[in-house]
Amino acid sequence: MIASVVASTIALGRTWRGRLILIVLTTQLLLPLRYYLANRDPHDERFAWRMFSPMRMSKCTPHFFLDGKPLPLASQYHEAWLELAGRGRFGVLEAIGADQCAKHPGAHVHASLDCSYLDAPARRFEAADLCTDPELGHGEDLPAPTR
Amino acid sequence: MAKTSPRPRAKPAAAARPAVVRDPDNMPPSHPVPAERPVFWFGFEVSWAKLALARAVLFGLLALDALLQIRHAPRYGAGGFNVAQLPGLGALGPTRSSYGIGQLLDAYLLVLAACGVATRVVIPAAAAIYAWLYFGSQLDSYQHHYLIALVLALASFVPWQRPHRARAATRVRSWALRLILVQLAVLYLWAAISKMTPAWLDGRALDQQVGGTLRALIDHTIGLALTSKLVLATELALAATVWLRPAWWVAAPVGILFHLGIVFTGLEIGLFAWLMIATYILVVPDVIWVWLGELSWPGAARAHARVDSADALARPHGGGWLGIALVVGVLLAVACRIESAHVVGVLLALVPLAIALLSKRNHSRAWLGVAHVLALGLWVLVDRGSTVTSDYARLWGGASRRLGELDTAEAAYRRLAELTPDDPGAHLRLGRILLERDQGDAGLAELHVAEEMEPGAARAWLEEARWLMRHGQLAEATAKAKEGTYAEPSNAEARQLLDTLLGKRHAPGAAAGGDADGDAP
Repeated sequence: MIASVVASTIALGRTWRGRLILIVLTTQLLLPLRYYLANRDPHDERFAWRMFSPMRMSKCTPHFFLDGKPLPLASQYHEAWLELAGRGRFGVLEAIGADQCAKHPGAHVHASLDCSYLDAPARRFEAADLCTDPELGHGEDLPAPTR
Repeated sequence: MAKTSPRPRAKPAAAARPAVVRDPDNMPPSHPVPAERPVFWFGFEVSWAKLALARAVLFGLLALDALLQIRHAPRYGAGGFNVAQLPGLGALGPTRSSYGIGQLLDAYLLVLAACGVATRVVIPAAAAIYAWLYFGSQLDSYQHHYLIALVLALASFVPWQRPHRARAATRVRSWALRLILVQLAVLYLWAAISKMTPAWLDGRALDQQVGGTLRALIDHTIGLALTSKLVLATELALAATVWLRPAWWVAAPVGILFHLGIVFTGLEIGLFAWLMIATYILVVPDVIWVWLGELSWPGAARAHARVDSADALARPHGGGWLGIALVVGVLLAVACRIESAHVVGVLLALVPLAIALLSKRNHSRAWLGVAHVLALGLWVLVDRGSTVTSDYARLWGGASRRLGELDTAEAAYRRLAELTPDDPGAHLRLGRILLERDQGDAGLAELHVAEEMEPGAARAWLEEARWLMRHGQLAEATAKAKEGTYAEPSNAEARQLLDTLLGKRHAPGAAAGGDADGDAP
């Protein structure tokens, strides 16, 4: 069985069509692994084929502060981006931060993201100043809400 | 009709290698054309009936989906902000206009593909446009957009055009089709892995995602926890069977029922569940499609007559018909109200002309003309038969208003009122933006139109009352607020505004105006 797979793989490597098949297969089998092994953002399920996953049900609330004052996002970014931010997509939040840093040179842009999950404690992700450190932190558990 | 001999072919390039065809009439199965190794990939064959049906249905649905996506165009480039799927592509992402044009082009090319016209050119072109729209921005970043991008890329390598004298049972060999099926299996496998968590298995995740008629059925029968486990088991079963020909008798009914179930969940995923069902045309055993195909080709004689007719269609004739089709195409493009459709549709007349002049495969010019008219006809059908065009204007106006681009918002709402003159909401939105832009008379006139059209709603009266209040005309504002309460007695907002006006108190928020009118995407 293993010998047959190895022989097939070697045979595939001999033609451009075979090499294309190998690239597609390798990519599709390994790229989703990135989500499980090396993903800084647990909310970013792109390219991982996680349809209808429990993570999709997470709810996040982003907060941005420009030099300590709350940033009104709705008047600056399309709702579709805010919806993605509300799903906790780090890439979108950090891009918003970078956009604000570019619009306000020398300012401090503080960001925090509070997320609740179906199967895990709520977490807060923060960046003290996205203009100096453009990535959100690893996050910390939030205290459970009191009843 | 005279029988023609096969035309001499140009030297086949590796990428354009003709499909390997085993016609049972011409080549006994005992002497098949040997496949390259590994045979699992390079010996994979399906019947021409299956391939033709998959081509028509899959690309037809994708064309329709592309046009329906145009309502999302206003979100692209809004506020000058974009985040691409891949780092470094942000600046190359589509804008509102280019997204709309891209989807129009994609829809056009996919209809040509569905008709079997120049598939080796139009499918890669459609795949490239789709990939640009998808990878250029995270705005529409559902997994199914990713899947369509991949499937279109792989479909570029499938020999979709009818092999010479092919009949329903003629076998066509394609490694790319096998790869598409394996791709589906990989998708099911990872989807199942993602569900191996307590939150899925106990039904909590499904509880928040499933609605519609299926939800009622689940609640009254097996419950969410068992359904969740069944979904996981189904995905694992499909991962194991969808690519394996002997298992197709299991995979096809299970997969079709599974995706049909998703259709009835009420999830807003557009045509995706139908597209997945369409891919199962490739999984349904060939014998079924061949049997259905032969119902229309019942005997060998008639089959050959049809084949000869098809051969005749492949001859480069029908220039007159192509000319007529180009004129009809221009008329259809002019009749289409989707933004940029006039210009793009007229320019697309060059495509069938180029195919007729440059293609080595002698397409029937009449058939080229038919495909051209069908493609532009679909634009008009979607424009006139759905809310895509008005949704585009409404969402464009709403987004522009919220982002403070009032000139653009006014233009979008004027367009909306022009497209849907009988929609009171269109006049309300136009009236409101005109009032915001200090065009009092014009704005009030639009609100009056909305009030007349919608006698049972308070919203236009409220807008007018708020504007009058802001301008110090308290008596007139009170009268309008009263009209609002008469029109819609249950409207708490109208009642509150009237109370405020009668008490001559200025409520902090009362003058702000609502925004809950459905402009959000």
